[in-house]
Amino acid sequence: MSANVDLVGDIGEVLLTEAQIQTRVAELGVEISADYAGRRLTLVSVLKGSLPFMADLMRSITVPTRIDLMEVSSYGGATTESSGLVRILKDLSASIEGEDVLICEDIIDTGLTLNYLIRYLGGKRPGTLRICTLLDKPARRLVEIKVDYTGFTIPDQFVVGYGLDYNEHYRNLRFVGVLRPEVYTSAG
Amino acid sequence: MTLADETVVEVAASPAALGDPARPTFAHASEAEMARILDFYAVRWAYEPDVFPILWSVDGEVVESFSPDFYLPDLDVYLEMTTLRQRLVRKKNRKLRRLRELYPAINIKLFYARDFRALMLKYGKLALVESLSGSSGQVVPERPAEAEPSTNLVAPPAAAPAPPAEAPPRLADLPGPRPPSRRRPRTAEARRLP
Repeated sequence: MSANVDLVGDIGEVLLTEAQIQTRVAELGVEISADYAGRRLTLVSVLKGSLPFMADLMRSITVPTRIDLMEVSSYGGATTESSGLVRILKDLSASIEGEDVLICEDIIDTGLTLNYLIRYLGGKRPGTLRICTLLDKPARRLVEIKVDYTGFTIPDQFVVGYGLDYNEHYRNLRFVGVLRPEVYTSAG
Repeated sequence: MTLADETVVEVAASPAALGDPARPTFAHASEAEMARILDFYAVRWAYEPDVFPILWSVDGEVVESFSPDFYLPDLDVYLEMTTLRQRLVRKKNRKLRRLRELYPAINIKLFYARDFRALMLKYGKLALVESLSGSSGQVVPERPAEAEPSTNLVAPPAAAPAPPAEAPPRLADLPGPRPPSRRRPRTAEARRLP
């Protein structure tokens, strides 16, 4: 697979340019900084897709900020068959009890993963727990979730880049693009 | 990191997670797949727990009803799946419109073939779509077809129990034979956003 990946050629359409993303992320940073003025914020990145987003967002936030990382297994992944239940592959490294926590997601579509994370992190008794996502794909929503900060609402297309992957590729693109259907249909 | 380092967190109990012997026989492979996905993410569900009458005869008898595939109690949402080709879902769309007219308070999502395909793509299971979709995915003989509405049928008749807008009646609340009782999985703690 890896030898056949054409990072740019596999993209049918650029949905969000690097400039558009950077502008919007900076706007989110200003908004979040104002909302959390005088407080300390803990950003929780949901690996792996949200890494570029959080890296840029945290540098746009001007209030004191801690970061932490979480990773949960995805349905259909390598660990699915063993238990049939979602697994926390990487848990928080510090307590969030009483803290203002902002979950950073790359994309929300069905809301299933985020719904799970909200319940899981809620059990750790944060002071507040809010959601920030770069991309929102509401057409795919199964679980309604209140999203506090949204970068872009996007159409119902399969997108990659800026952290989002297909078969672990395309994460390093600096833009968000629509993957050409023949890429995943031929990969079968 | 080894598997031993991983933390399995059961934030909710699903029938499958509990080893519920009453796990239903699904009418379609796509429904079984959806149940596995919901189980994976610890979303509780019940399979076809409610039947909503949507058409009555002039005598007040229910002649057509709609039973959504899943009810997700923690989210108070019904989920209806159809993996038929888009042009073949007209009848289901009509029933869904009727359901929404009669029971505006219920929250129901229709999951089309394209939605299922997108879900499988997201989870890296696109290759299975064909075997889980349409007629290929039927795992039990089709249930008896419901009577097609005809012009001498009206809904709802004055004598028939009219569904209130606030809280739609379920068949269990209506006169006549009671539907199978709803299976209520164990309630789980779920903290909400402050």
